[in-house]
Amino acid sequence: MKFDTVIIGGGLAGMTCGIRLAEAGRRCAIVSQGQSAIHFSSGSFDLLGRLPDGTAVTDPVAGIAALEKDAPEHPYAVIGARACEKYAQEAPRLLREAGIPVSGDCRANHFRITPMGKAVPTWLTIDGYLTAGQPGALPFRKVCIVNVEGFLDFYPEFIAEEFRKAGVTCRFGSFNHPDLENIRRNPSEMRSANIARVFDHEKNLEALAASICEAAADSEAVILPAIIGINRNDALEILKQKVAKPLYLLPTLPPSIPGIKAQQLLQRRFRALGGEYFLGDTVLPAETENGHVRCVRTANHGNIPFEARDFVLATGSFFSRGLIASPDRILEPVFGADTLHAPSRAEWYTQRFFDRQNYQAFGIRTDRSLRVVKEGVPVDNLYCAGAGLAGFHPVQDGCGAGVSLLSALHVADRILNSKQS
Amino acid sequence: MNNTYDVIIIGGGATGAGIARDCSLRGVKALLLERSDISTGATGRNHGLLHSGARYAVTDHESAVECIRENMILRKIAAHCVEETDGLFISLPEDGLEYQATFVEACRKAGIRADIIDPLQALRLEPSANPALIGAVRVPDGAVDPFRLTSSNIIDAKAHGAEIRTYTEVTELLREQDRIVGVRAYDHHTRSEMCFYAQVVINAGGIWGHGIAAKAGITINMLPAKGALLIFGHRVNNLVLNRCRKPADADILVPGDTISLIGTTSSKVPFEEVDNMVITPDEVDLLLREGEKLAPQLAQTRILRAYAGVRPLVASDDDPSGRTVSRGIVLLDHATRDGLEGFITITGGKLMTYRLMAEWATDLVCRKIGVNQTCRTAETPLPGSAESRREVDRKLHDKPVVQRRSTISRHGALAVEIDSRDSIKNSLVCECEEVSIGEVEYALENLAVNNLVDLRRRTRVGMGTCQGELCACRAAGLMGRRDPVCARKAKADLVSFLNERWKGMAPIAWGDTLRESEYTTWVYEGVCGLSDETEKTAAQ
Amino acid sequence: MNIQQNTVSENNFEQCIKCTVCTVYCPVAAVNPDYPGPKQAGPDGERLRLKQPGFFDSALKYCLNCKRCEVACPSNVRIGDIIQAARIKYGPQHNTSLRNFVLANTDLVGTLATPFAPIVNTAVGLKPVRYAMDKVMAIDHRRVFPKYAHGTFTAWYRKHAAAAQAAYPKQVAYFHGCYVNYNNPQLGKDLLRVMNALGYGVQLLDKEKCCGVALISNGLHKQARRQAQTNLHAIRTAVNDRGMDVITTSSTCTFTLRDEYPHLLRLENDDVRDRIELATRYLYRLLKEHGKELKFKDTAPLRVAYHTPCHMEKMGWGYYSIELLRMIPGVEVTVLDSQCCGIGGTYGFKKENYATSQAIGAPLFRQIEASGADIVATDCETCKWQIEMSTSKPCEHPLHILASRLA
Repeated sequence: MKFDTVIIGGGLAGMTCGIRLAEAGRRCAIVSQGQSAIHFSSGSFDLLGRLPDGTAVTDPVAGIAALEKDAPEHPYAVIGARACEKYAQEAPRLLREAGIPVSGDCRANHFRITPMGKAVPTWLTIDGYLTAGQPGALPFRKVCIVNVEGFLDFYPEFIAEEFRKAGVTCRFGSFNHPDLENIRRNPSEMRSANIARVFDHEKNLEALAASICEAAADSEAVILPAIIGINRNDALEILKQKVAKPLYLLPTLPPSIPGIKAQQLLQRRFRALGGEYFLGDTVLPAETENGHVRCVRTANHGNIPFEARDFVLATGSFFSRGLIASPDRILEPVFGADTLHAPSRAEWYTQRFFDRQNYQAFGIRTDRSLRVVKEGVPVDNLYCAGAGLAGFHPVQDGCGAGVSLLSALHVADRILNSKQS
Repeated sequence: MNNTYDVIIIGGGATGAGIARDCSLRGVKALLLERSDISTGATGRNHGLLHSGARYAVTDHESAVECIRENMILRKIAAHCVEETDGLFISLPEDGLEYQATFVEACRKAGIRADIIDPLQALRLEPSANPALIGAVRVPDGAVDPFRLTSSNIIDAKAHGAEIRTYTEVTELLREQDRIVGVRAYDHHTRSEMCFYAQVVINAGGIWGHGIAAKAGITINMLPAKGALLIFGHRVNNLVLNRCRKPADADILVPGDTISLIGTTSSKVPFEEVDNMVITPDEVDLLLREGEKLAPQLAQTRILRAYAGVRPLVASDDDPSGRTVSRGIVLLDHATRDGLEGFITITGGKLMTYRLMAEWATDLVCRKIGVNQTCRTAETPLPGSAESRREVDRKLHDKPVVQRRSTISRHGALAVEIDSRDSIKNSLVCECEEVSIGEVEYALENLAVNNLVDLRRRTRVGMGTCQGELCACRAAGLMGRRDPVCARKAKADLVSFLNERWKGMAPIAWGDTLRESEYTTWVYEGVCGLSDETEKTAAQ
Repeated sequence: MNIQQNTVSENNFEQCIKCTVCTVYCPVAAVNPDYPGPKQAGPDGERLRLKQPGFFDSALKYCLNCKRCEVACPSNVRIGDIIQAARIKYGPQHNTSLRNFVLANTDLVGTLATPFAPIVNTAVGLKPVRYAMDKVMAIDHRRVFPKYAHGTFTAWYRKHAAAAQAAYPKQVAYFHGCYVNYNNPQLGKDLLRVMNALGYGVQLLDKEKCCGVALISNGLHKQARRQAQTNLHAIRTAVNDRGMDVITTSSTCTFTLRDEYPHLLRLENDDVRDRIELATRYLYRLLKEHGKELKFKDTAPLRVAYHTPCHMEKMGWGYYSIELLRMIPGVEVTVLDSQCCGIGGTYGFKKENYATSQAIGAPLFRQIEASGADIVATDCETCKWQIEMSTSKPCEHPLHILASRLA
């Protein structure tokens, strides 16, 4: 099989890179080991929430400029502040064109509200989800939080506890329905995706709306977990019309509806642009020849290799096994790329789970063009994008999605502007 | 408030719980004080091995005899806490077969059935055993769940009038001349101090008993011995595997419920460290190295966590150097030993002999306060063990099979108390261990659960392969439902629970465990936005 | 009982880190709440079953073995294999119903039916017969049965094709499967036509039994294992003694021969696995990698919607069939979203699964109706039956479309 670019990894970075290249007319293949971490999305995309020293970031672009100075190993610093800003302007367009309606500003963070009511700084949020300009600056003083009975992956009491601190009065509503009773016959499947399938039926949406109206009483607004719209895009609109009050969604624990939908929309977009998406396949360990990758082989395709001019390693970090931790080393399993990590396991983590854990910043060594370095030398047609990069704390610094999006666009840029093209 | 009792028991391990039960069954009014949750010390930090006594047969005849007797008793009275698996003592080429004959002879002398079986038959019985084995002896070892065992003793003690106070820490022994008359204690929940009085105070504090005795100015020559263990992700073996050689490090692999565990290492630690055991990479390596010799499959099996307990070894009173250490039961009447009335210490021993220790201690109490009742704990089944699992299964046959079996294996006959009337109560909180909403609510209401870690000990929530990643938030959500204070506390509790789980994962955090940890970080720190701050702000 | 036997090896289930993504993509769990879902039935359940076999849940029979959970799993857990292996290891061993026996023994039933094809076809089309089958055997009366051919493919081959095929300089062996043999010999003939056009003769295997996929899913794994041994022997003879690759036209047969044999029946096939491939993949290699060419005639434009069968999705080979279709002048290909049609081999024939089966397929059927295609193409015979029964479109094998447009 011959392609212009073969991308290994079908998560946010891999798909963003693939979509950008396909938009430019390149023939791309994505090989993905399984469904990606996009499924765990909170409904928002972070760019930069904190600096490594813990300082809160209000203007991500300014924050990135600070990183360039203070954290030269951070992928944003490697890409460069100016390029980052350009990509940060471009990324929302790419997401919107894929059908993911996001809003936000790379010069000013807003706050997403978590399933436990916490306010976390973020960059882009999918329309329909509750956000705040400042923590505590909620768009209502009296709100009704409605949950589906028996749904354990959403926490109205926890949310209310946080809202009360901001002076918001909360009441609770609970919804049940024979179709939900039906799902519960299986004790483990009260999950957001299954519940959302119930609300693909307009009749059930209407019943939900009626129940919301009753529960809401004199509340100014209503909050609902993201349990609607898995197979239809108009579910929120229909509810809003019937409820006739501002209605906001909050994400649930994963796999979340915004995550599932984002994954599917990006995949569909990539395919619509002519991309080939190979799901459920594993790229086998591959050789480089004189600092160059000629082809890779996969478990499914065996004697038919994937040949391409450029390759992108977007295999992610530990979860997706883009990085593998053995008791004494961090390995990159496909190309055996050089990795950056502390030598002794004692330095990988501390005793407290919520500490800033060193292992989270481990990753693949690259050059300034994000080309993968192997045995000290950059491989000339192999790039790295996304969570596999080294030098950043995706969760603590609130920059995981941003690094994936921006590094993917940067790699696409490098490929489109490389001499051979 | 009535604050006078016949006896005050300090320590909520198996021994303390056993004493509370024994006293209550004999009509002695007991108060049990535990500074944390029940079974948090050595009770919950060992192999969970239902010793046949074979392991001690060669070196310690007396302990072996005690073990096999208690073994047979526990099978009857604590059936729902016990798995009657049997065990193998295997000889590997490096061990030779010489020890086997000595071993079998010693078992015979102690009254422990020990059958030499053919190596091939041994491998058929236990396919995970090292195929290189050259000899095997089958003995009546088994598994016992220390959390269930302690909890059932507590339930029964309460049912017979005992009062149990967890999270209540003894700060002072109240002394009148040459007599201890009660204790002053600090309640960690109400953050207040109070005094309790009794004719006898029993020190059943395990390794912490050293410090308790010190409050009365008494020295007990204890040696904290750390033993580290590893838990594997699933049940690798169905028979207990031991090495047939002189007892050494990491030579017992015990199947317990859904997991198997290997242990232990053995090292002396200073008293300052007993509250915060850290597992070193060397200990992990040693456990793995030796474990693979018992069952080579362990090399490919996921490790869930590492932990350590501290055994209270007691040096003989006549040997202040501490070299002669007894693993047997030590009952000290401080009246005769130190001239201090109303205070006794029960220590040494092991989980297997908790009931016997309780019997000895209660006998002494009864003598002191003039109660003429004999011990019934060897015959009276614990709550949960009154009916066989099969009978309970029949009663609950219309419930979903996997959940039903899990619940019964955890609560025995008490499983019928769990609300399973509708699909919501049957919905799962913990999917690895199949814990339903009904079971969590049952534990919250009936089993003195104060936080998620307590809940884990009662129900196995968070003990599965995900170590709480999927279920901790759900359980916290249920705990936080009652009112805003609960919500704040439950959220903080969730953070401390994740920190507690991580403590056991960090020593073995590579491979899939690190993947799991990274994912857990995404969920709790990322999606939910929790942090250590959450815990701190709630404490204020 | 050796408890380790038939357990999916290497503790693969422990790679599961409970991310729950599989449950999103399980077609059964989405419509049938009596099924515990892939996570619970697979890795979670396996851990409990290792503790005690009594934790086996008979609801595992609702798994239709589509393997979409495995395709979705980010951790490479062989969820579907774990579930099927558990059914083999812990499930009912001896009480196979007449219904399951009939559905599973496609080979035997085909042999009995083909000589009387017109009568059988008419009979199973008759309402009273279908109601009787429903009542007696619990085969749903709404299910449309595939028609039997009058005379088998192998009989035709021996009589009319064998000599001519032997004359070609290059040879491949063909595992035709029950469907081509008893229901649709034309597809076999189409394959011969295409291969011949490229200079390849097609040989039958010395002996061929049903691949056994239906036996496995109906709890008849011992018989499946015997048949698999026969097939592997014949394949080894073809590969090793006669130097031929083995090609097939059914994605499910291919998947079973290559992957289910070692994973579920514990029959190692490493030595020949890579030599067994789907005909469309073989053709792709000849045309795209070895520069061979086919000549097509000018025919009216045709809009084809390709449906990726579940086992094709698992093998990842849909690409080859799609590329082949795209090569045909005048054919416009749209690729349908990959989702299960609901038939699951014999699964959808069973009365208790009929509603589930149709509910699973409903989104696909809607997509097909809305596609504007003239015809649906797919590499799986049972998908074809389901699509033809449940939509207004005809459904054909890509090779049939290809062959019919050859010059």
